[in-house]
Amino acid sequence: MKDFQLAWRNIWRNKRRTLITAASIFFAVFFALVMRSFQLGTYDSMYQNVIESYTGYIQIQHQDYIEEPILDNCFVADPEMIKKVESDPNVADVVPRLESYALAASGSRTQGVMVLGVDPEKEEKLSGMKERLVKFKLTDTAIGSLKLSDIPDRTKRLLDLFRNEAYSSTGRMMLDLGISTEDSADVLPVLRRYASFTNEYLSGSVPEGVLIGSGLSAFLKINVGDTLVLMGQGYHATSAAGNFIVAGIIKLPTPDIDKRIVYMPLETARDLYAAHGLATSAVLSMRDINDKAINATANRLRSLVSLPLAVRTWQEINALLLNQMEADNRSGMIMIGILYLVIAFGVFGTVLMMMAERRREFGMLVSIGMQKRKLAKVVTIEMLLMGLLGVISGIIASLPLVIYGHVRPLRFTGEFARMYEDYGMEPIMPTLLPDTYYLWQTVVVMIIISIAIIFSIRKIFRINVINSLKA
Amino acid sequence: MIIQIAWKNVWRNKTRSLIVILSVAVGVFAGVFAMAAMNSSVVQRIDAAVNEELSHIQVNNREFRSSSDIRDLIQGFNEVDSLMRSLPGVNSTTGRIIIRGIASTSAKSAGVEINGIDVEKEKEMFSLHKKVIPGTGSYFESETKFNSVLIGEKLAKELNIIRYILTPEAVAHLDSLKIPSVVLSKLDPVYGERFTSDKKFNRELEKLLTPNEIKKYSIQIKEAAWSYREGAKLILTFLDKDNNQTGAGFRVCGIFRTNNDMFEGMSVFVPAGELRALTGMEEGTWHRLIARLDNNDLTDELTEPARKAIPSYEVLNWKEIQPDLAMIADFMGQIYGIFMAIILAALAFGIVNTMLMAVLERTKELGMLTAIGMNRKKIFSMIMFESIFLSIVGGFAGMGIAGAVIALTAKNGINLMKYSEGMEAFGYSAHLFPTIDAQFFITTTILIVLTGILSSVYPARKALKLNPIEAIRTE
Repeated sequence: MKDFQLAWRNIWRNKRRTLITAASIFFAVFFALVMRSFQLGTYDSMYQNVIESYTGYIQIQHQDYIEEPILDNCFVADPEMIKKVESDPNVADVVPRLESYALAASGSRTQGVMVLGVDPEKEEKLSGMKERLVKFKLTDTAIGSLKLSDIPDRTKRLLDLFRNEAYSSTGRMMLDLGISTEDSADVLPVLRRYASFTNEYLSGSVPEGVLIGSGLSAFLKINVGDTLVLMGQGYHATSAAGNFIVAGIIKLPTPDIDKRIVYMPLETARDLYAAHGLATSAVLSMRDINDKAINATANRLRSLVSLPLAVRTWQEINALLLNQMEADNRSGMIMIGILYLVIAFGVFGTVLMMMAERRREFGMLVSIGMQKRKLAKVVTIEMLLMGLLGVISGIIASLPLVIYGHVRPLRFTGEFARMYEDYGMEPIMPTLLPDTYYLWQTVVVMIIISIAIIFSIRKIFRINVINSLKA
Repeated sequence: MIIQIAWKNVWRNKTRSLIVILSVAVGVFAGVFAMAAMNSSVVQRIDAAVNEELSHIQVNNREFRSSSDIRDLIQGFNEVDSLMRSLPGVNSTTGRIIIRGIASTSAKSAGVEINGIDVEKEKEMFSLHKKVIPGTGSYFESETKFNSVLIGEKLAKELNIIRYILTPEAVAHLDSLKIPSVVLSKLDPVYGERFTSDKKFNRELEKLLTPNEIKKYSIQIKEAAWSYREGAKLILTFLDKDNNQTGAGFRVCGIFRTNNDMFEGMSVFVPAGELRALTGMEEGTWHRLIARLDNNDLTDELTEPARKAIPSYEVLNWKEIQPDLAMIADFMGQIYGIFMAIILAALAFGIVNTMLMAVLERTKELGMLTAIGMNRKKIFSMIMFESIFLSIVGGFAGMGIAGAVIALTAKNGINLMKYSEGMEAFGYSAHLFPTIDAQFFITTTILIVLTGILSSVYPARKALKLNPIEAIRTE
């Protein structure tokens, strides 16, 4: 305790030096944390995007499907097998899908699309499809009427920027149109009156009704109630063609998928592709979506299903995305590495100077009988305190920014947003809430400090009392 | 005079100054080098986009890019062409026929964009002919009575034209590369077997070899086993000028390899004449006019005049066709600035600390100088110069080392094999050849001097606040 007191007093004896050293550590920790938080948060949101709107956490597929995602690599959705899988404690539901490609045509325009046959109710529970139905659309007529209404001028100006944009949530629309929460009570009813969009979800009773992405609807220029023609190849090279009615339009966060997706009831898709009783994948909805729990579940399921079926986790299904993020992640880590390298030099420099400056003081202490071991202990505590001061203040300073960035993510607009969307990403940059990466920053700083400590302890044990008193 | 004194002061305490100089040098080196590596991937991407994929300026029928309709031609192509050529700075032009279609082999099929090209002109304007993989053929050079098509490696893999086989020759080649016979004997079970995809071959290797062996040898093994079905044919199906379905067999005359998976998987090239015969398109009709400029810097400057000269067609430069790429290129400049600023800010702490120490240590001396009449301005600038010297010596050393390392690595590049799959899907090469503009060194120098000035303010103020009488008395 005495040692601690001594160390505490020592570091405040030369306040300036302590503060500068702590400040350089603070600076590194703060920047590293904020940078990491944005980077990891962006990956996280991309994964969530893909997983929740599309792939799910675990799928059961034919073993060859992952390499050749074609209809012929499908499997019999055997009710008994499904029951077995459902009995796993972490599996909430098994949602079979039949997925293939087709050429969608309307009028003179055609587009290659992904056709997804889903169980309407189960899919709704898994990926919240109804939430994604378009609720507002800024059509030319809607914008015309809105401009005449008494909404704020700022919103009126923004309307042109988002012409023909479809929204599935009021939140996104409010952000785009610059509507503040205070104004929303006045403005939203006006928007509801002029820009509301009515459509319906898939239903078992209307088998020919399909949902299409808002991007696809814009490209093919078709709307709710219009006819959509699909042509393609069915199971084992039968020909597949049919007329469908657009029941609803959905907005998916990944624009690449939004531009080329058609959802239809599973049985309708099986009829279209002559694939009765078959599925290309069964998506499992999970109770616990923690990484560990998912891997454990996948391992349990692997022993349950037999060839030719295979259990795939989201990491396997999205291997390419993971590889891209990994490459990006490395570049971020190199940047932080450089930052820490610079800081390490700064810390060593300070420690070196401190040792030189206090040579006489140390010599004096040793000569009046202080054990070198005890002296080393005091100096160690001093440095740990300085390091902790920097780390803790860095963490505290980063917290408000990180939390705010998570609650209200940075949203890109204009060209930048378009670039994000071109790459199939939602144009936001959220932060990741404190996680193990916070711990790592602390560990790195502590390693730097420990090296400095080892260095100064060696110096202390080498003190030659006579020489240092003379200095 | 002040400058000389400052310079000498810097070297009075060598250890201390050297530590700061070293830390500045390391920080600047690491920053500049990391930027050069990052910058290279963008530079290489732009290079590929301009030299292999897009060229500088393209002219299309206004409808064509959205409709892809074979009838949306450039009417009176020769006139448009001569208008384009008449602009100063336009080096060469060529036309392209572009048709969407399906390429299929007996195994598989894939949607493609068929480019009907003028082979001779394209060879002058694009560098794609240099990208043909050795051993797979040539850029339309071999005489053949078939129609010929040039396709990308990615498409060739998708269509099972490329596969992996460990033939006796491949094994012999591996043996000559000094791959241990233990490893080769482990591969025994798969000799002669055919693997139709990269992944399947990888999976088999994972079964047979230890992770360590894979790390060491898998690239060489894959390269040796990489094999190409010679004389492979594929069938291209598309709509002719009257919207009737047509198609023909084409012999693969060569396979090109770029770093852009999308381009490799989508684009196939066919001599325009063959495509005309099949579609019934008339001689001299094209969908797109492509112009190459004397150099890339002219792109922005020439787009507007071209647009004015050819008002009835859509004129776009590569930056407009791929706005994301142009934006990343612009954005890089800002990233440089921010990143270097962060590093220098971190370095500033070290400099402030050292200078403060230097001032406090010299209290008596500074007091003496004031007492004998050195004015405050001179003391201030002396300290400021000391600080600038510290940062600039370190900065130049760092930039010098960075320049040398960039020059060294630029020869062979840095190969990030592990990430090639992900990066190439976006069109970026994983093999980086670090490069950086001279401009960047100037910006960095300015930033370094600024850092020196800013970090001297606090210590210099301390020095000015000294009371000469008290200062002289201190021990």
